[in-house]
Amino acid sequence: MPKLSRILLVDDDQTTNYLNQLLLKRLDVAEQLQVALNGQEALNLMQDYGETAATPQPMLVLLDVKMPVMDGFEFLQAYAELPVSHREDVVIVMLTTSLHPQDVERVQQLNIAGFLNKPLTSEKINDILQQYFH
Amino acid sequence: MTDSRPLTAAELAAENAHLRQQLQEAEELITAIRTGTIDALAVQAPGGPRIFTLEGADQSYRTLIEQMNEGALLLSQSGTVLYCNACLAGLLAIPLESMMGVAFHDFVPLDYHAYWQGLLTTGWSGKSKGEMPLISTDGRMHPFAVALNVLTFEHTPVLAVIVTDVSAQREISDIQAQVAEQNALLERQNETLRSQAQAQREAEQAAAETTRILEGIPHIAWTANPEGHNTYLNRRWFDYTGEDAQSKAQHQFGALIHPEDLPGALQHWSQCIGSGQALEIECRIRNAAGEYRWMLGRALPSRNEQGEIIQWIGAYTDIHEHKLAQQRVAETQQQLRENYEQLTRINRDLDNFIYTASHDLKAPINNIEGLLQALLPELPAELAASPSVQPILAMMQQSVDRFKRTIEHLTEVIKLQKEHEQPAALVDMSVVIHEVSLDLAPLIQATGAQLEVSLGTCPHISFSEKNLRSIVYNLVSNAIKYHAPNRPPRVQVRCHHEDGITVLEVQDNGLGLNLANTQRLFSMFQRFHDHVEGSGIGLYMVKRIVENAGGRIEVASEIGVGSKFSVYFRRENA
Repeated sequence: MPKLSRILLVDDDQTTNYLNQLLLKRLDVAEQLQVALNGQEALNLMQDYGETAATPQPMLVLLDVKMPVMDGFEFLQAYAELPVSHREDVVIVMLTTSLHPQDVERVQQLNIAGFLNKPLTSEKINDILQQYFH
Repeated sequence: MTDSRPLTAAELAAENAHLRQQLQEAEELITAIRTGTIDALAVQAPGGPRIFTLEGADQSYRTLIEQMNEGALLLSQSGTVLYCNACLAGLLAIPLESMMGVAFHDFVPLDYHAYWQGLLTTGWSGKSKGEMPLISTDGRMHPFAVALNVLTFEHTPVLAVIVTDVSAQREISDIQAQVAEQNALLERQNETLRSQAQAQREAEQAAAETTRILEGIPHIAWTANPEGHNTYLNRRWFDYTGEDAQSKAQHQFGALIHPEDLPGALQHWSQCIGSGQALEIECRIRNAAGEYRWMLGRALPSRNEQGEIIQWIGAYTDIHEHKLAQQRVAETQQQLRENYEQLTRINRDLDNFIYTASHDLKAPINNIEGLLQALLPELPAELAASPSVQPILAMMQQSVDRFKRTIEHLTEVIKLQKEHEQPAALVDMSVVIHEVSLDLAPLIQATGAQLEVSLGTCPHISFSEKNLRSIVYNLVSNAIKYHAPNRPPRVQVRCHHEDGITVLEVQDNGLGLNLANTQRLFSMFQRFHDHVEGSGIGLYMVKRIVENAGGRIEVASEIGVGSKFSVYFRRENA
């Protein structure tokens, strides 16, 4: 199983972040784990990452949909406008609990690697790694 | 003068004097003849002098001839003018003395020579008459009537000619022709006037007939001229409005039509006058009591044979009650629409609420479960396994599971609502029942249940396959789950037609239900028995599915005996 250099978790729920971090640590799939509490924080980090070679971009972003300040959709919109160098080799997977057909349809139309229903499980992590980093 | 010898001046003078003498004598003679001083004259003829007596021509006759307004002359057999009265000389604009002895022939236009010759010939044989022009000395031609008669003077015949100027007669006949033409024109005009008067009488009769009919109808009736001005109103109008029928004042519809309806009514009316299209308006008209009532106004143009509008005939019908009823219906419909919109809004809000609730509940319960699982490895093994802690942990996990199941059921309900209009297909019931029995195999085995299927005459049901499976699944699983403890469950699944409706029955020999409140039975999260696993969502779902498809569900039950659920599917093409 490959080990990713960096995974960014974007979720406003601290408990979810805690549990996801716990899971990812237990699976030992990443060198570094970083947390952003909303889309804006994540966007700031993504901008910073590209600036210096010392802080490489995350290989995987696990993105929540419903967040304050800037939600997952807004983040993706803003992210798409970053220079290409900031977006190379970044896999974004959305995590959602929303069943609303509108939301599901919207997510399906996004230019992202994929979307998963919460909660995150070891099986789902394995699937992502198999699919995008094998 | 046969002698060719030139005459001397003296001889010429003597000749001249002689001739002058002769001329003098001739003039005197003529004067004498005209004035009647002589009765006879002698003319030197080759055979000796001849005496011409003016037989019976006494002075008074000659005076008459001289005075009369016709021209008169005597012609010799050679056509020489022997005598001519002053009138003829005047007509031909020639001095009287120049007429005597000339050939009358000279006054006849060339074209008439033959005609004149014919008259002369006939005249010499007795008498003749004709009409012909004569040329006066100024070269103009005048029309004349000529009458020729042979007279005899002293056994010598002469031709007496009476010449009458007919130019005046011509003018008269021209005038007469004009008069005749004018009279004919007048007659034609009179005829036109007479026919117009007849048409007018007929129109008046028709109008009177129209009026008589319009007076008889039980509506306000009116007529208007092609310009749209009112020409008649029947008695109903005056009964309704209280206006004075005898009043000569112009009846103004405008003053009695409701101000809100007037502009539209006038505009429509003027459009109709312009286009000739039938009028149809609804407006309020004030009655004698000052109350406005709704009227339906209709009018059609009446046209003549040429297709021109000659008048408008219209009527007003009281539609007040009808209109009020219509308004009430419209208000009710509006109310219904608003209610419907409100309900739709509430429904949508409710859907959104369930979405949000399920979403918002999912995250924390997932977290609780995650935290619980995270806690377990952290606990010392002996503590986790201790009799005081282990059951607590187990109950926590059970609660989490139940919470998650509830959310799943909610999710099911949401899906059901979204799948409201699933397409119907002809579903093979035996296949559905077989599949459901496979799904329920563990339960069937555990309880020793017996499933009896009798599809009879309806092996197929037209319905959404997914929903039909859900109905069968819920009813059969309930029938098994709530079995009586003292006997193995026996579940009968039957199908039959009832009044053309397909009925699916699921009957069990289970616990039975208290049906005091069947309404509650089909409500969400209602559970009548709590000794077995259940969410209380199944019957709610079944009812929703059936009713959404236009059918209904009934239940019959007896405590301790069993229950029977009957699903009535809506008749296709009913």
